[in-house]
Amino acid sequence: MNRLEKKAWANLGGMILCVIIAGPGIWWMASNNIKGPVVLIPFLISGLIAGSITYLKSIKHWAKLDEREKNIAQRAGRLSSGVFILFLYCASFTVFLVVGAKGPVPAYLLPAMFLSGLFLMVFVYSAAILVQFARERDDE
Amino acid sequence: MNSEHISNRIRRLRFEKGEMTQQQLADLVGVTRQTIIAIEQGKYAPSLPLAFQIARAFGVPLESVFQYEPENPASTHNSLL
Repeated sequence: MNRLEKKAWANLGGMILCVIIAGPGIWWMASNNIKGPVVLIPFLISGLIAGSITYLKSIKHWAKLDEREKNIAQRAGRLSSGVFILFLYCASFTVFLVVGAKGPVPAYLLPAMFLSGLFLMVFVYSAAILVQFARERDDE
Repeated sequence: MNSEHISNRIRRLRFEKGEMTQQQLADLVGVTRQTIIAIEQGKYAPSLPLAFQIARAFGVPLESVFQYEPENPASTHNSLL
C-alpha cells in the first residue's frame, strides 16, 4: 500500500470518527432546537478532526508523491469537486421544489447541506483514489 | 495522459543494464516502483522530464527508450504541415 492509498484510508477513517464523535451532538441540537454559540461546538470538533487528518497530512504528503500519484490524486480531486457542486445544486433545488419559492426552511438545513456535501466530497475523493489503485492492481 | 500509442523498451534496457530491478530504476529517477510498472506496461505515459531521466538512467537517447506510434500516420503528417 503506497502513501496515497494510506492517505485515502486515513480520510475515510477520519470521516467515520467525525460522524461517531460529532454526529450525536448535531442530532441532539437539531431535535431540541438549540440556539446560540453552543451550536458551533460539534462542528468545531468535527472540523478539527477532519482538518487535521485531511488537510495537514495532504500538505506533508503531496511533496512526496511522484507524478503518476499526483495525476491520480488530481483526477480524484476533479471528480470529487464535481460531485460536491452537483450535490449542492441538487440539494438546493430539492429544497426549492419541496417547500416552494417562499416556503420556510429550518436554519440547520443549510450547514447540514454544506457539511453533507463536504463529507460526500471527501468520501468520493478517497474512494476514487482507492478504486484507481485497485484497478491498476487488477490489470497487473 | 493517454499512453495508447507510446511504446517503450524499459524492460529490455533494464536487463541489458545488468538486470537492474524496477525498484533500482525507480530510486534512480525518483518515482515509486508502481509507476515504473505502469510505464513498462504502457498504462502510463511519463512526463517529458521523467522520460529524459529514465533515458539518462540507461545512458541512451530518449527515442531509444520511448517510441511514438500514431494511430493514423497520415493525419499526423497533415496536421504538422
